[in-house]
Amino acid sequence: MAAPLEPAVRIATIVARLRSWADEAPDQVAMREKDLGIWRDITWADYWDTVQDVGHALLALGVEPGDRVAVGSENRPEWLYTDLATVAVGAMTMGLYPTNPAPEVAYLLGDSGAKILVAEDQEQVDKALEVADGLGDLERIVYVEPRGVRGRYHDDRLLYWDDFVALGKRHRTADPDALERRMARASGDDVMTLIYTSGTTGPPKGAMLSVTNVEFAIRTLVDGGGFTDPPPSTDDVTLSYLPLCHVAERIFTTWFHLAGGPVVHFAESIDTVQQNLREVQPTIFFGVPRIWEKVHAGVHIRMASASALKRANYALWMAAAARIGRTMVAHGGNHTAATRVLYAVGYVFLFRALRDRIGLRECRFAASGAAPIAPEVLEWFMGIGVPMHEVYGMTENTAVATGNRAGRVKLGTVGEPQDGVELRIDEQTGEIQTRHAGVFVGYWRNPEATAEAKDADGWLHTGDVGVWVDGTHVKITDRLKDIIITAGGKNIAPSELENSLKASPFVKEAVVIGDRRPFLAALIGIELDTVGEWAQRRRIAYTTYRDLAEKDEVRTLVQGVVDATNARFARTEQIKQFRMLPKELDHDDGELTATQKVKRSAMAHLFGDLIEDIYGGATQESARG
Amino acid sequence: MTASVRSDPTRRGRPELYTSYESDAALLNTPGKRWGVLAIVMLAAAAPFVLGNPLLLLLATAFAAAIGAIGLNLVTGYAGQVSLGHAFFVGLGAYTAAVLSGDPDARLLGFGLPMIVWLPAAALVPGLVGLIVAPLAARLRGLYLAIVTLGLVFLGEHVFREWRSVTGGPGVGRDGVQAALFGVSITGAGGGLDGAQKAYLFTFVLLLVAALLGRNLARSKVGRAFAAVRDRDIAAEVIGVNLTRSKLLAFAISSAYAGVAGALLYTLTRTIDPNSFNLLMSVRFIAMVLIGGVATISGSIMGALFITLLPRFTQLLPRFLPFIGEGARGGGLISTADLEVMLYGLLIVGFLIFEPRGLFGLWIRIRNYWKGWPFSY
Repeated sequence: MAAPLEPAVRIATIVARLRSWADEAPDQVAMREKDLGIWRDITWADYWDTVQDVGHALLALGVEPGDRVAVGSENRPEWLYTDLATVAVGAMTMGLYPTNPAPEVAYLLGDSGAKILVAEDQEQVDKALEVADGLGDLERIVYVEPRGVRGRYHDDRLLYWDDFVALGKRHRTADPDALERRMARASGDDVMTLIYTSGTTGPPKGAMLSVTNVEFAIRTLVDGGGFTDPPPSTDDVTLSYLPLCHVAERIFTTWFHLAGGPVVHFAESIDTVQQNLREVQPTIFFGVPRIWEKVHAGVHIRMASASALKRANYALWMAAAARIGRTMVAHGGNHTAATRVLYAVGYVFLFRALRDRIGLRECRFAASGAAPIAPEVLEWFMGIGVPMHEVYGMTENTAVATGNRAGRVKLGTVGEPQDGVELRIDEQTGEIQTRHAGVFVGYWRNPEATAEAKDADGWLHTGDVGVWVDGTHVKITDRLKDIIITAGGKNIAPSELENSLKASPFVKEAVVIGDRRPFLAALIGIELDTVGEWAQRRRIAYTTYRDLAEKDEVRTLVQGVVDATNARFARTEQIKQFRMLPKELDHDDGELTATQKVKRSAMAHLFGDLIEDIYGGATQESARG
Repeated sequence: MTASVRSDPTRRGRPELYTSYESDAALLNTPGKRWGVLAIVMLAAAAPFVLGNPLLLLLATAFAAAIGAIGLNLVTGYAGQVSLGHAFFVGLGAYTAAVLSGDPDARLLGFGLPMIVWLPAAALVPGLVGLIVAPLAARLRGLYLAIVTLGLVFLGEHVFREWRSVTGGPGVGRDGVQAALFGVSITGAGGGLDGAQKAYLFTFVLLLVAALLGRNLARSKVGRAFAAVRDRDIAAEVIGVNLTRSKLLAFAISSAYAGVAGALLYTLTRTIDPNSFNLLMSVRFIAMVLIGGVATISGSIMGALFITLLPRFTQLLPRFLPFIGEGARGGGLISTADLEVMLYGLLIVGFLIFEPRGLFGLWIRIRNYWKGWPFSY
């Protein structure tokens, strides 16, 4: 990376890619945003034009190279405009999760020292204003939705998006070349974005990704077909719905988009994803395990209340799907002649309609990543004909590490190392380490953490424990820090157990505990929709989540799920006891990170009484077991 | 921006991805509807070359009635203004057409004008009368409106009976409408086709036009205003719908449809009896709307077909059920004519209780069963 870059490479930022799209295909649709019930087209020319306006606006507000521009918004075109404009002026984009509570907003804005915040609506503006007085660096808050803010809030730092763009237009008229001059100064070492890690263990750290990192990711994942094969093209359709401040959605919404040109559709909100999926029918769809589990559970609930004939049809063809799934898993994700015929018949009776209803009928590449997923769920999707691929990467290596390639899928693994990636597994700790041009620059203002994560030779210590499968594929066991060592001295990876539990449509959260304890136990949170529906069909009356979760019938139901999981593991790895979580875990209450990952340390603290209850009565239980 | 709609690969196979309100509210907004309608139209257009003449004439009558039913559905189904006076407007249309097209040298009033004059006039005259009557509707609702429109039928019956120079008077009547297109009679032989075939095709084309206009009206601003008035007139007024204007329009358009239906019905029938535009005719139209499906155009057509073809089936019944007498006089417990009237009543009651959305509702039920596949909702 130290080698001087070619001049040609120097300007290959994502902004340059946008400019060439606008030159070559100005009238082609780049993205669509749903507004008042209609998907409105935004062409490449519109996109580039707005980015230039926003870029000039940033210049007018005095944004210098290296400054930080924060965005606190759901996915929408303004997110991309700001992101691209920020890169164009040489500054760094920093994304906030729209769900971040005010203290976290304060921490993230303070830590990054953001100069400008683009806030989506009144909710985001409120959070920012609540903490803004303690933030010396924050000069401007640009709000996109004027409702409730414009004309009601009187704060000199506030600026309405339209005024912000108008400011840019004036600047652009006065000095049309200013942005071009700034863009010409771009170099490969420029940090273009700060991506904050979710922070399951401590406060989030900002990973700095440079222009070179991102270009490497684009070359490997897009041009090299690392995530989709063949690479994304203008015939492809994607749905943008996961938080854009996360590296995964940034790849699919921004980088894929600028490299291959698929039409990006912005979901109205995370709650309408299922509906939007049906409308958009994306050809490339990336989901975190929670999304796949939810789709899977959704099908389960709706089938449970379908008419007898439809249930019988479903049961018949899902048996076929299970067979297809198993066979495909055995053949690396490929069809055999027999499964192809079976699938073709099933397509008429079930699979076509089912895939259409869940919005994956046109899907040619589906991926799961960002957290471990139960293989059963992947197999279920493969069975109904959704080409599923588990991929692996993290913020710190620009999400470039491994991926299952089409036709060479190994279930339960995260696939083979991408082209140009050096990957090794530490012999002592089993930690996965990667080295390539996508390895991040370092943590923002945190050299100690940087030194821990990235050694002198450029190897990134991922913190994930893994093993090789058949010498080609990598299987992730768990996070290094999450490995449980029981009092008996046995090393256990909790995520395997947890995912097996979560594969049941009735289980939303499962946290396996037992570090330095005599046996394993689990805290289990039910999926309110499915269990509620289940209870209704059995005429079990309930009032709240807690009331439902603590019903004896529900405990018995969950006991069944736990037993089924236990049957698949060795005795020492079995869950001897479990307790129902009395509430749904939530980001606001500090139990989950913004990416909906469980914070284990917080759990031990918040649900200490439950845990004590388990191990307090341990003697007779373990005697029985 | 919509120029490349069909060629854009990112839109293909995504019928629910609407990029404009036009495509969302299009007449045939899904491929299923496009192909379905095309298939039905093709079948209907091929029918005259396959079916026998008596049946063709019956279908032509049903098509003419369907135009009337669409008209009633616009005012009663879409705009929610119950009208029992539909028969009056049908009569008005029939007489307008008959007088304008009639032989100038005959006993009764006639002008011998071509179709290009009498067909629009048959729509215009009842439309104007509807417009004059409509202010009643602006002041009344529900039951009161029904009673007032009922009065219209009685007034009409009286006028038709007494205005002998036009109608010929009861028991005598006058000749039906003389329809000719480019000098070729619609109902008689000539032009290479039978009268029945021509009559069928003529009414079919007019029905297509009427249905298309009706459907287009229903989805437009006017149609949405109708629905708003129906659902809650006060709320409609509050959101800016002009109540009086909507009701006037609804009555005028509905009456124009009724007029055209009348002109067509009495093109097919040889004579016009002034007694036929009575309450029973209004009830028949209401039955078509209720059985077919309230506030649907295709339902109106289904209802009209059903009610018009019903006698054909009741005529078959005496063969199987001995207690039903043939015709109006034959032996048995009840005659087929009585049976028909009873069936209307039973069907209306049955549909209102079990399938308030009519035949169209049955279709929707079947469609949703498959549309929801593999789920139930």
